[in-house]
Amino acid sequence: MIHRLYVHNFRCLENFELTMQGMPSALLVGRNGSGKSTIATVLEILQSVGRGTNRVGGLVTVKDFTCGRSKVPIRFELEVLLDGKLFKYVLALELPEKFRELRVSEEHLMVEGDPIFARKEAQVTLHTSPQNSGAQFMVDWHLVALPVIQEQSESDPLYVFKTWLSRTIILVPIPSLMTGDSKGETLEPLRDGSNFGNWFTGLLSRYPAAYTKVERYLREMMPDMRDWTNDPVGKDAKSMIVRFQETNEHLNIYFSDLSDGEKCFFLCAVVLAANEFYGPLFCFWDEPDSYLSLAEVGHFLTSLRRSFENGGQLLVTSHNPEGIRKFSNDNTFILGRKSHVEPTVIRLLSDMSVPGDLVNALIRDDVGPWV
Amino acid sequence: MNKYRPHVYVLPEDDANRQIANGFLLNPYLSERVIGVLPPAGGWRKVLEAFRDEHVREMRRFTERRIILLMDFDEQVERLSSAREEIPGDLSNRVFILGVLSNPERLKTALGKSFEDIGKALAQDCARDTRYIWEHDLLAHNSAELDHMDSPHPSIRELLFPQDTTQ
Repeated sequence: MIHRLYVHNFRCLENFELTMQGMPSALLVGRNGSGKSTIATVLEILQSVGRGTNRVGGLVTVKDFTCGRSKVPIRFELEVLLDGKLFKYVLALELPEKFRELRVSEEHLMVEGDPIFARKEAQVTLHTSPQNSGAQFMVDWHLVALPVIQEQSESDPLYVFKTWLSRTIILVPIPSLMTGDSKGETLEPLRDGSNFGNWFTGLLSRYPAAYTKVERYLREMMPDMRDWTNDPVGKDAKSMIVRFQETNEHLNIYFSDLSDGEKCFFLCAVVLAANEFYGPLFCFWDEPDSYLSLAEVGHFLTSLRRSFENGGQLLVTSHNPEGIRKFSNDNTFILGRKSHVEPTVIRLLSDMSVPGDLVNALIRDDVGPWV
Repeated sequence: MNKYRPHVYVLPEDDANRQIANGFLLNPYLSERVIGVLPPAGGWRKVLEAFRDEHVREMRRFTERRIILLMDFDEQVERLSSAREEIPGDLSNRVFILGVLSNPERLKTALGKSFEDIGKALAQDCARDTRYIWEHDLLAHNSAELDHMDSPHPSIRELLFPQDTTQ
């Protein structure tokens, strides 16, 4: 569970702090351009580090500095509770004069305040075990160290943190890119959902018992769904077909031909099963209610929220009144910016005074974090 | 939600009651597809107006529908009987009126819990077929309506918590 995300000098996020301690699920609300998607981008950068991207140039570019302020480092800090221990990962990136690519100025990982590794510029100091405590080595300034440090075992804090980070789910799905085709297996979904078929196949291949969970959810959402098949198409490729049945009538539909909302049902089913079978996971989902009918929004979000009550953490954004109403003042964050040259401000709704109905106040544009 | 099978809508008076209902729906044993929370009506009178203007006709059309009117009593216990008088006789077994004796803010202070956590505690009581929270001074006046909810078959509890969670 993420306790704290701190970001400085990255796009609209200046001295920005998102505190989610004790929140199994939370909602981000704000006008367009208030910084919600930038939070997703930061989480995706950290996820990429966990998944092995170590070239700084592949994570951030010069244009990511707030208002072009390249003399101040970009700073990311993530505090997360895993197996009852508080992990803190810090990554600071700088752009020296006459450089075209950012480099690492500071990086470290701590568990319960004890350093696992610490890095200053190119010099990395390991503290992972008594055998190698204090061992030092150099890393190219343009490479992030976390992905390249070898973990000792599955109980090594490095392994625990990297695995958790790599399996975080950041979703800004584009249903038209979700074809249901797969050419392999993964437990690392992409933000646009374009490798959904690989994720679905990977989940069911590694955790066959997840089938029941996925099927049960989908049958609740689509009572006439019978099952699905994953048929081979050519060499090493498969394509999903969803089979429906109503009394004696049968209909097979290629996954790619399902409606956008129905594809989101599948996505939700896999998120729920993934959290249960290889979680607890962190999931950020940008506007999960985008493609859903009004009658489905409440059930969809409540199902997600309930699933993460028992482990893991869900963070969503929404502009949908019904979606917004499925969260409460203690887990709704209001984001805002006064202008494009000012930073994002964030406040918990319970710390603000919003008279009457929140949705009506949002429609009137009466809600801002500085109000 | 299947309109032709037993289902429940909750019509909250205001945002605080809506948040309590949200917490209730987070119970892991709840059959989530049979219950929905409607947007807040904006006051207890508006709850009754909305019920009369929108829901009476639809409840006669969809005979498996139940509705819980979630409203504040503002220290007036007699509000229950006056509100009940506005429920048509043919629907009285499917309409339930619950609420805090004063208002949810007072209950929040008294219990030291967020609205969602109050909802979770109420749902836990319901799942376990106990009434610990319901016996609080600000909620005890609901006992007759809770009995009323237990009577029809299936009872609201059986509908919402089909698994036996009392063990």
